[in-house]
Amino acid sequence: MCDAGPLIHLDEVGCVELLADFPQVLVPLAVWDEVVKHRPSALTHDTVRYQKLTHGNALSTELDVLSRLLALHRGEQQALQIAQAHPGCLVLTDDTAARLAARNLGLKAHGTLGVLVRAIRRKQKTKDEVVTLLRSVPSLSTLHVRPALLEEVIREVEQSQ
Amino acid sequence: MKTAIQAELPAELLAEARAFVEQGSVGDFDELLAEALRRYLESHSTPLAESFIREDLAWGLRGRE
Repeated sequence: MCDAGPLIHLDEVGCVELLADFPQVLVPLAVWDEVVKHRPSALTHDTVRYQKLTHGNALSTELDVLSRLLALHRGEQQALQIAQAHPGCLVLTDDTAARLAARNLGLKAHGTLGVLVRAIRRKQKTKDEVVTLLRSVPSLSTLHVRPALLEEVIREVEQSQ
Repeated sequence: MKTAIQAELPAELLAEARAFVEQGSVGDFDELLAEALRRYLESHSTPLAESFIREDLAWGLRGRE
């Protein structure tokens, strides 16, 4: 299940194809529309198995409350709603509030940097390639990461086995 | 202490917010703006965001699927 952030940020650094490693990339309608508006090229990769989904019925009570408390956007609400209906589904989002909600709902969630680093483990990219990508995040993408934290991430990637 | 600010907002968002105030869902526009900012800042706190990035790093390097 993918929120708009990772689709947009991965495309900005030229890496949406990393999502081809997932059996399916479920994209709620509201997220799809948001990405079409801001970064349509993120949805045009032939190797990625996108599946545009319309949201189901009413939000669960728990999700409804969390959505209000955390001021979740419609796309984030739909992403979490659909993820709840797909046991074992991984939620990809860069929004802190959405990740907090996912955690409270018992859903596994990760973001763009996780997908980039995962590419080493999944042998999609070499460690050097991923370090180069991580270094490009501030200049090529709209993903905001504190520079010192990004350096910490890069250092750990470089030192990893 | 309160401080007056000037902000540019998307027209649709502003209209929606004004309608929300007119419905009586919140005291006034200032209160709505303050509450929205407070909730956003609370749910997007830097320590929380950074803890998620560290989780991403661990998952990326050593996660099991």
